[in-house]
Amino acid sequence: MSEARQEILRRLRRGNGGEPHPGSWQSPRTFPDLVSRFVEALEASHGETFVEDDAGAAVSRLERVLVELGARRIVCQDEPPLDSLDLPERLPAFEWHVVGQTTGSLRAICAEADVGVSSAQAALSETGTVVVDSGPGRSRLVTLLPPVHVVLLPADRLVADLFALVEQQEQPLPANVTLISGPSKTADIEQTLAIGVHGPRRLVVIVYS
Amino acid sequence: MTASTGEFRREAAVAVADAHLQAALETATGRFRTAREIVLAELPDADRLRDHLKAVRAATIANLAGYLEQFEQNATAAGAHVHWARDAAEASAIVTRLARERGVTLAAKSKSMATEEIHLNDALLAAGVTPVETDLGEWILQLAGEPPYHIIAPAIHKTRDQVAALFVQETGAPLPDDNIPTLTATARRELRQRFLDAGMGISGGNIAVAETGSIVLVTNEGNGRMVTSLPPVHVAVIGIEKVAPTWNDAAAWLALLARSATGQPLSIYTTVITGPARAGDPDGPEEVHVILLDNGRSRLLDTAYEEILQCIRCGACLNICPVYREAGGHAYASPYSGPIGAVITPLLFGVENYPALPHASTLCGACQDVCPVRIDLPRMLLELRAEEVRHGLASTTESLLEKGAAFVLAHERLLRLGRGALALGQKPFVRNGQIRLPAALNLAGERDLPAFAPRSFHQLWEELQDE
Amino acid sequence: MTAEKRVALFVTCIVDQLMPEVGVATVRLLRRAGFEVSFPREQTCCGQPFFNSGFRDQARKLAERTVAIFADEPAVVLPSGSCTTMIRKEYPHLLGDNPRYAYRARRLAARTFELSEFLVHQAGWEPPPGEPHGPVTYHDSCHMCRMLGLRAEPRRLLAQSGHEIVEMAESDRCCGFGGVFSVRMPEISNAMTAEKLQQAADTGAPLLVTADPGCLMQMRGLAGESAGQVRHLATVLEEATR
Repeated sequence: MSEARQEILRRLRRGNGGEPHPGSWQSPRTFPDLVSRFVEALEASHGETFVEDDAGAAVSRLERVLVELGARRIVCQDEPPLDSLDLPERLPAFEWHVVGQTTGSLRAICAEADVGVSSAQAALSETGTVVVDSGPGRSRLVTLLPPVHVVLLPADRLVADLFALVEQQEQPLPANVTLISGPSKTADIEQTLAIGVHGPRRLVVIVYS
Repeated sequence: MTASTGEFRREAAVAVADAHLQAALETATGRFRTAREIVLAELPDADRLRDHLKAVRAATIANLAGYLEQFEQNATAAGAHVHWARDAAEASAIVTRLARERGVTLAAKSKSMATEEIHLNDALLAAGVTPVETDLGEWILQLAGEPPYHIIAPAIHKTRDQVAALFVQETGAPLPDDNIPTLTATARRELRQRFLDAGMGISGGNIAVAETGSIVLVTNEGNGRMVTSLPPVHVAVIGIEKVAPTWNDAAAWLALLARSATGQPLSIYTTVITGPARAGDPDGPEEVHVILLDNGRSRLLDTAYEEILQCIRCGACLNICPVYREAGGHAYASPYSGPIGAVITPLLFGVENYPALPHASTLCGACQDVCPVRIDLPRMLLELRAEEVRHGLASTTESLLEKGAAFVLAHERLLRLGRGALALGQKPFVRNGQIRLPAALNLAGERDLPAFAPRSFHQLWEELQDE
Repeated sequence: MTAEKRVALFVTCIVDQLMPEVGVATVRLLRRAGFEVSFPREQTCCGQPFFNSGFRDQARKLAERTVAIFADEPAVVLPSGSCTTMIRKEYPHLLGDNPRYAYRARRLAARTFELSEFLVHQAGWEPPPGEPHGPVTYHDSCHMCRMLGLRAEPRRLLAQSGHEIVEMAESDRCCGFGGVFSVRMPEISNAMTAEKLQQAADTGAPLLVTADPGCLMQMRGLAGESAGQVRHLATVLEEATR
C-alpha cells in the first residue's frame, strides 16, 4: 500500500506546480429577507415551510402538522433548542422517542417512526437548505429513515448561502454534516419526478423567530 | 471493453432507430439543459464563478501531490483510513480484502463512476460479496444486467413497464400497477432492507476536501446518506483529481455542480463525511476507508490532456452534445460517455481499445461552452485523433484516401484534371445537383451526395472578371 | 478597416468544386461593397478536413501552401466560417514551430475574414433597403457562432436586405456535418441533420440559410425535394441586393 502511495505521489510531482491558486471567492449574494428567500427556495424543491413568530407558535404549528399527518410515533433529536422546548411534555398525545433517552435500538425506532423531528445547525437561504450534523444527541437516522422530517429552525440560524456557511463553520468538523435541500426525489424512471425514494418523502421546516 | 468504429456505429444505429429511446434522451437532456440555463442566469455572476472554479481546478491539478497529502493527513486525524491504489486491480483488492476481513457478504453501493471504472462489482462477486446498487437508476440497470446510459440519469432508456417487470422478477411478488409512485415505493421498501442488512457501504465521492480530510457526496435520493450511515464499514472510492484544497473551493465547486448537472441549485442531499462516528455519536459507521484511485490519471499530468483532470463530472456536456443525444450512452462502451467519455475513456483505457471515441464528435464545441470549468474538449479530441494517426491506428483505406486527396489538393493542376474527369463521369447519376446512391454503396448512408458543379469557380472566374 | 479597397478571395474547396455560385455571389457582394477582388489561382484547400482527421502532416503542407499563396494580400475573405476558423485559429499553432511560416501564418490569421464579418465590420457595408423578401430561418454553424462569435452579423445583413428571420428552436445546434464525420458515422450524422431540418421546417420559413458550405452540403443531402430551399448567405444576399 505504501508502495502505491509512494509511486502515485512520485508521478504526481511531475506536475509543474506553476498555477497559482486564485484565493477565496467572495460571494456577492445577499438577500433583503433571508426567511422569505429560504421559503421560496425550499418550496421550489417540494419542501413545505411555515413561518412563526416565536417558539410557542412553532410548537403549536408542530402539533398541527403532526395531527394532520396522523402521526403517532415521533423520534426526536436531543439538541438545542429542542431540548429546552420540552416537546414530549407539551405534546403528550404522541409517542415520543428522544435520542439518548430511549431504550431499545435507535435504528429500529427510526425505521418505525412516523416522523423525525430535528432542529438545524444552520440554514441556507439561497438554496432552501437546512444543515444537520452528527454529535451527542444527534442521530443521522432521525432525519433520514422516517417518511417525514420536521425541522424546527430558529430564524437567526439562516445565512445567505454556502459560502457564508463555510466562513462561519467551526472546525474540526463532526463526522457527518448533511445539507438537506428538499424531500428525497428521483426522476430515474421515465424522467418523471417521484418524491420519497430513500430519504423522507416530506420535509417540513418551521421557521421561528 | 472496446469501441471500434464499427462497434460504435452499430450501437449508435440501434439507438438512432429506437424512437422511444430518442424521446427519452430528448426529454431528460432537454430538462437538464433548460433548468441549467435558468439556475445559472439566477446567479449574480455565473461566468466569473466559472472562471474562478477553473483557476481553482487548474491550481489544484498542478499541485495534486501536496493537496492529497494534506487530505490524507486530515482524514487520518479524523479517524479515517486512507488507501492509495495505482490501478483498478489494486483498488478492488483493497475493497475485497476489507470485506473478507470483516466477514462482509452484502455490500450496499451508492452511485459511483469510479467503482464502475474499476469493475468493482465483478471483483466483489468473485470474492463472495454480493453488491447491491441502491441508486434507483443503477439498481434498475443491475437487475437488467445493463451498463448505464447517462452519467447522471443512468436508466434513461427504460420504460415503466420494463421497470415493473424487473421489480416483479426481483421481488417474486406481483405489483398492483406500474405507476411511478408504486415503482418508487417498491424500490424504497426493497432497498431499505439491504441498507439495514449490509455489512459494508460503498460509495464514490464528488469532492475530497484537503482542508479537513472530508469526502463530499451529493445525491437526490438519499441512498448516499444510507450507505454511509447504516453499515458498520464505509468505503469511499474517489479519483485522485477530485480534490478541493479548501472549503471555500468546495463551496464554489458545489455552487456549480448541481446547477450544471440537473439545473438544481444544490442536490437534495450534500453529505460531508469526516472520519467514522465519534465517541458520543448515536450512530454512524465504525470505520471509514477512503481509497484514492489513480488508474491512469497521474499519467496525464504534463501532457496535452492535463486539463481533462479538471472535470467535476457534472454531465452538462452530455446534455448538450448532439452526437450523444443521438447515439446514447451504450455506444461508448464505457462508464463515461458523451464528450467527457470520448476523451477520458481512451486516455484511461488506451486509444487503441477505443479508436472510435475521439471521432464520435463533429467538434461543434457545445460541450466546452457549457462545461462549468470550460475544458477545451474539442482540442483534446483533435489531439487524440492525431495520435491515432501517428500510432498507425487509422485504417489503410482512410490513410490512402486522406493522403491521396491531400496530394491532389496540393497540386492545382492535378485537381483541375481530376475534377474534370469526375464532373463528366458523374453525369448519369446527377439529379438536381445531387447524387443519390443506394444505401449499400453510399458512404453517406441515406444522405444524397453533392455533385461536382459542371464548371468550378476557377473556371468561372474569367467571366466574373469581365462583369 | 483595411486601408486599401482590395481583397483576395479564398473561395474554399467545397465552393470551388461543388457550389461555385456561392463564390460568384461573394465576389459580387464584395464589389458592391466597393472592393476590388483578386483571385490567386493556385488556391485549393485550407487543409481543415485533414487536420480534423488527425492527418497533421497533410494539413500542414496545405496550410504552408495556403500561407504562401495569400501572404502578400492585404485582406482575405472567405464565404465559410469553418475555413476562416482554420486559418485564424489553427494556422498559427500548426505552423508555429516552422520559422519559415510562423510569422506569415500569424499575419495571415490577422487579415482573414469570413464574408459577413468583413461586410459588416471591415467594409461597413449596409445592404440597400429594397423590397421585403419572405421569411427565412438561419442556421448558426458551429464555427460561425462558437468559434468566431459571429451570430449577429449574418442576421443583420439578412434583416437589412429585407428578410424576416424566424428563429428555429436550436439554431446553433450542430447540423451533423463535422467534415469526415459525415461519412465516418453517417447514421448519427444523418440523424442530427434530420433533427436540424425538422426544426427548420417547424418555423414555417421557406428558406433555410447558412454561412458555411459544409453545413449547406450536409443539409441539402437530406432535404430531398426541398434541397433548393437550403441556401448560402452569400447567394441570398446577392440576389436581394442586385
